[in-house]
Amino acid sequence: MNKFLKTTAAVAVMAIASMGMATSQSMAEGKLSVSVALDPGSWDPIDTFLVAWGAVGSNIFDGLTERDTNAKLHPGLATSWEVLDEGVRIRFKLREGVKFHNGEPFNAEAVKFTFDRLLGEIGAKGPQRANYTSVESVEIIDDYTVDFHLTQPDPVLLTKLAGYGAMIVPPKYITEKGEDYFNTHPVGTGPFSFVSYEPKVDLELKANPDYWGDVAKVSELEYRFISELTTAVAELQAGRLDIVEDLPISMLSVVKDDAKLDVVSTAGPTVYGLRFNTRDGITANKDVRKAIVMAVDRSTIIKSLLAGEAEEIASFQSSLSFGYDPELKPLPYNPEEAKKLLKAAGVAPGTEIQIDIRAGKPTFNEVVQAVGAYLQTVGLKAVIKPYENSVFLNDIVPQGKTGALFQQSWGGWTLDYDNTAYLLYHTGQKWNPYGTDAKLDAMLEEQRPMTDVAKREELLKNIAAYVADEALEMPLYGLKAIYGVNKRLEGFVPAPDNRVKLNTVSIKQ
Amino acid sequence: MAESMKKKRSFDLSMELIVGATLLIVILLSALFAHQLFPDGVDKIDLLSRLTPPFAKPEHPLGSDPLGRDVLARVVAGGRISLLIGVTSVIGAVTLGVTIGLIAGFYRGITDMLMMRFVDIQLALPFILLAITFIAILGGSLINTIILLIVSQWVQYARLVRGQVLALRDREFILAARAIGVKDWRIIVQHLLPNLTGPVIVLMTLNVANNILLESSLTFLGMGVDPTIPTWGGMLAEGRSYLQTAWWVSVFPGLAIMLTVLGLNLLGDWMRDQLDPTGKTSL
Repeated sequence: MNKFLKTTAAVAVMAIASMGMATSQSMAEGKLSVSVALDPGSWDPIDTFLVAWGAVGSNIFDGLTERDTNAKLHPGLATSWEVLDEGVRIRFKLREGVKFHNGEPFNAEAVKFTFDRLLGEIGAKGPQRANYTSVESVEIIDDYTVDFHLTQPDPVLLTKLAGYGAMIVPPKYITEKGEDYFNTHPVGTGPFSFVSYEPKVDLELKANPDYWGDVAKVSELEYRFISELTTAVAELQAGRLDIVEDLPISMLSVVKDDAKLDVVSTAGPTVYGLRFNTRDGITANKDVRKAIVMAVDRSTIIKSLLAGEAEEIASFQSSLSFGYDPELKPLPYNPEEAKKLLKAAGVAPGTEIQIDIRAGKPTFNEVVQAVGAYLQTVGLKAVIKPYENSVFLNDIVPQGKTGALFQQSWGGWTLDYDNTAYLLYHTGQKWNPYGTDAKLDAMLEEQRPMTDVAKREELLKNIAAYVADEALEMPLYGLKAIYGVNKRLEGFVPAPDNRVKLNTVSIKQ
Repeated sequence: MAESMKKKRSFDLSMELIVGATLLIVILLSALFAHQLFPDGVDKIDLLSRLTPPFAKPEHPLGSDPLGRDVLARVVAGGRISLLIGVTSVIGAVTLGVTIGLIAGFYRGITDMLMMRFVDIQLALPFILLAITFIAILGGSLINTIILLIVSQWVQYARLVRGQVLALRDREFILAARAIGVKDWRIIVQHLLPNLTGPVIVLMTLNVANNILLESSLTFLGMGVDPTIPTWGGMLAEGRSYLQTAWWVSVFPGLAIMLTVLGLNLLGDWMRDQLDPTGKTSL
């Protein structure tokens, strides 16, 4: 009897095991491991603005629109849209037959629920709502048609619908299970669905076989939260991670030298530069500002300190940005001309020039030291003053307490120059402590409500050219988005904004 | 037998003195004259020869850092700020801490209670919080960094010294001194203080190294010195992200800190033996 039981059990185990094998073979195989620097703590799209959320959330959720890695917009959960009534109404046709991971159908109801929630009481608690205040209401026309009513035309809205707070969430699931449960058990329509989440450790996902787009080529996807990049790179080398995002420049050669690994990069949205105190001291003079820019060999800095993983910029935007003008060239490196300009402006050799930076940013710290050395060559004595992050961001810059130059870095996944220029140059903005230029203000205000895309782009280009001509800043570089990737992956396409969709990636056996 | 042991011991003592003092003098002198020793090496940035490995090029015997500056020149010059911060802050903390510990332990009573409660409050404040408050109020500078380090560390000495004094104050030699009417301050200076040197010196030598490193972590809070001025702690921090690709950027300043601490330790050992009243008779 006993023996019989054992045998049956053994047979049963074998049968189950072979069944397991059979099912896993029918689907895509393999597990993908990706490192994420931070644990956002909540997977609700409206709770955070962290890039780490964007990286993960884009694989769980979908927006009405979708943006590819070249920053082009495509249909997402909406198959088409029409801008009506001079830009204050947008009609979306929704994709039919899409289901959330829990089986709930996606329809107009879900879209309305998502935006009522984002713009209502619950959204008010999070940081995402501010991005979508141009939406007044969402009206259901039929099951698969919705109208967005806007308070004013918002040229960036369609892009903003492709990510973060505008990701569509399941109404029934959230109503039944509650907000807290949804935070730790996310359900969306994306290519991967939720399996388990251990805070500060990892998030496990599995392929969604019913995905409306390309079904994932791997069966499992794991995100591990590793804040120390050195650790992440060591894990990549050991083969326990497949993708590491935001690889630091100093570790590029470690990854490049490893036969199993690759460095993959693409133009990114984040730009770095030094802005001038245009109100006080020698930098109130436009010619002095131009001289300071010309004194610094930016392309050598990019080639050597940044290992070429950056692009030279002429205005405060990357080549992906809407409003980028390839015709606009940065001021040339010309120390002789710089010396002449400084002399003409009456700046004595050995004049001290203070550069304020944020402490604890190793790469930029090196760049600024190099900038200081270049300024030395035209007779200016650079003094670098590091500040604690929050002091710098909340007091020194907004209160206009900086030295002649101060650090500015600017990201933003929407990739629209308006998002940068308005906040950096319009009078009275937090990030514009010194400038009060009525002409610039007028240009910035004029483009905002414009629905004519080509005309608005032209205006943005004019703004960039004007700012460059006034030399309001020393644009340094746009950093590429750099990924360390295991060579066993196939079909990996780097995204500029960390939001890599992993359904196209497969594992070579 | 006793004679030979004594001889051997005095030989050891002088070795400690010679090695310790030589190390420190060499480090100190070269730091002071770094700009004379390396006329254009300390701050000169050369992006094209960045991260040269050591012993590869004659102009960079210990290699170059991420900005192409000479590591040897910077290590030598880095001693200036690092030693200044490390040594002055420890001397300040010792002076303050030992005085307060002596008074509190010797007089006991209300003085002791008040002082020790103050120490408790100070110990309850985390260093980072203290540092951030400091920056907000006083701003960052070299002097403020030293003051901050003194303020955050004197309590260790106060505690240590008070404990020692409590153990000593009822010993026979102190009671005897009191019995014959020796004044308080003489008991403190002549009888108590020499008996405290051992543990205080050990703590001091440890703290010098610690403070050299703390200076670099303060830079992260925006409190340290201008990053172009070389300091050992700053160089270590800068080299951290290059540890796998360019070890020399952080290893050599680390070595400099190690040698300094070794020198201080040897000198401290020697000084303790010289000052310790029991040391001469107990062996």
